[in-house]
Amino acid sequence: MKNLRDVWSSRFMHYIGEVQKYMQFTFTGHIAIVLVFLIGAGGYQYSEWLKVVQADFPAEILIAVIVGLLLIFSRPTTLLREPDQVYLLPLESKMSQYFSKALAWTFWSQVWIAAIVYIVSIPLLKAVTDLTTLNIWLIFLLIVVLKYISVQGEFNYRYSERGQLVWVDRLIRAVIFVVAIYLALQTQLLLVIIATVISVIYMVVFRKKSIGEPIPYEHFVKLEQNRMMSFYRFANYFTDVPHLHGSIRRRGWLDWLYKFIPYGKGNAQKYLVFRTFIRTDDHFYLWLRLTAISAIIAVFVDIPVVTWIVAGALSFATTIQLKQALLTSGEFRMDMLYPLPDNARRLAVKQIVRLAMITQAVIVGVCAITQPMFYLTIVIIVGVSELTMKISKP
Amino acid sequence: MSVLEVQHVTGGYTRKPVIKDLSFTIGKGELVGLIGLNGAGKSTTIKHIIGTMLPKEGNIRLNGVTLKEDTDKYRTAFSYIPETPVLYDELTLREHLELTAMAYGMNKATLDARSAILLKEFRMEKRLNWFPSHFSKGMRQKVMIMCAFLVNPSLYIIDEPFVGLDPLGIQSLLDQMDEKKKEGASILMSTHILSTAEKHCDRIILLHEGSVRAQGTMADLRNAFAMPNATLDDLYIAMTKERDHEELA
Repeated sequence: MKNLRDVWSSRFMHYIGEVQKYMQFTFTGHIAIVLVFLIGAGGYQYSEWLKVVQADFPAEILIAVIVGLLLIFSRPTTLLREPDQVYLLPLESKMSQYFSKALAWTFWSQVWIAAIVYIVSIPLLKAVTDLTTLNIWLIFLLIVVLKYISVQGEFNYRYSERGQLVWVDRLIRAVIFVVAIYLALQTQLLLVIIATVISVIYMVVFRKKSIGEPIPYEHFVKLEQNRMMSFYRFANYFTDVPHLHGSIRRRGWLDWLYKFIPYGKGNAQKYLVFRTFIRTDDHFYLWLRLTAISAIIAVFVDIPVVTWIVAGALSFATTIQLKQALLTSGEFRMDMLYPLPDNARRLAVKQIVRLAMITQAVIVGVCAITQPMFYLTIVIIVGVSELTMKISKP
Repeated sequence: MSVLEVQHVTGGYTRKPVIKDLSFTIGKGELVGLIGLNGAGKSTTIKHIIGTMLPKEGNIRLNGVTLKEDTDKYRTAFSYIPETPVLYDELTLREHLELTAMAYGMNKATLDARSAILLKEFRMEKRLNWFPSHFSKGMRQKVMIMCAFLVNPSLYIIDEPFVGLDPLGIQSLLDQMDEKKKEGASILMSTHILSTAEKHCDRIILLHEGSVRAQGTMADLRNAFAMPNATLDDLYIAMTKERDHEELA
């Protein structure tokens, strides 16, 4: 049999492939535009604020709490699967090889979050504290070390306690880490070392405790499943995820909307298409996320021209995708046999998309209400949508 | 006058026709069984009748019109129960009935009256707000059957109706079919359950390799095969063997 390092490697490659596949879709197109805008706007605001920040601003405690809290979330990425509890059982004693690989990945995949937040806060530290550059980078090193302890600690705790009461463990680590970072920012070297040693002892206690315990496969497998599901659900806001494909939700709270399409032969296709739009996750979330992005831009970007361009682009994107999604269906459906005019489906899709886009226009318009000529946003969204519907292929 | 007239129809998916020069009629109030092996052309025949496939040659008339001549009249004239239930995942049972009623121009009162009877007959009253994902295969089949009977057309086209239904469901379906027949509706039913076909069908069409091998009442068929006292199963097996011999010869 291949050794356990190979098992890890092949799983890891598969996992990375899966993540990459969806990340590509998630961070392309409209979401990339939004991120660039948000990061740009945020960076600009931050640098302006640094110019006027008061010297007594409590930067140390704030940074200690934020970074400390970010450090404690160290859920191990084990990539274990359900069949493992049967097939890997004979290898129990050799599993440490596998887990050391898994924990290395867990560390590298998570450490950057706290690191980036700390690096972003460095200009603030320079502005309000007397820390030297050397001190600042030594503290960076401390944060990396604490993250390593955190990853090992959480894994040992979950292993020995089978995942019970993990928040207690996290609370204890949070207190130790926040104190350690705060003391470091106060350049209390000795106390920092003491705090760090305490956290190492804490980690070792649970490692000792876990020795001889069987691997808590069930707990780790469940963690993996939850992680992948939440990843897929996240990705599904941006793109089609086949694992979740075509899921249907009743969304009973929107039932009142259906009253707008009264009973009658002329409304049969509209009756169907409207429900398809509201209840199919793919279609509904498509509309929801593009509307949300457009609305967020309208709220946070104060330059009307930018709002208009983004609103227009997103109106185009929503209209064309929604129209295609609702029109195309290769399969046989019963409504193909209904004694209705041939263009009934196309007409119904057009009207439902129009309804969805007017709703989008109103939402974005309200969000842009503080801007001069905000009503132009509404006109642009509806106008672009109508134009798109007209010129796109039927 | 015939409700359905299939006249010299040739058709299929590619150039090679699946059905060849097919002709038969169904009269008012008749229950006709369409019988054949897998691949004999039953489903293709049905697809041509419901209009999802168009004949390469020949034509199909329903109540005197072809699909091209009067689409609305043609489509209103029949309802169809496919072999595998085709439901909308996003609609509840109630909404399936409502949508069907709307599409066929039924008024609300008629919908309520007819669906109440059907729901009771098929024991689905308590599932009105369920989505198809919660239905078993048999229940899905029942939804299709209820939608078809709700419309009250001149012709019912039913593809392999008994698979997946529980015995009570089968009985309910047969009862409904009987009742509609008495009211003057015609039924074209394709099935492999030959004993049921023999018992209930007024006429049988035996389809083999895309052509009508024989058709008529059970008596006609027994004469044609020179097998008095034969059951439909016997005739069916005889037909397939006879063809195999011809092919070998």
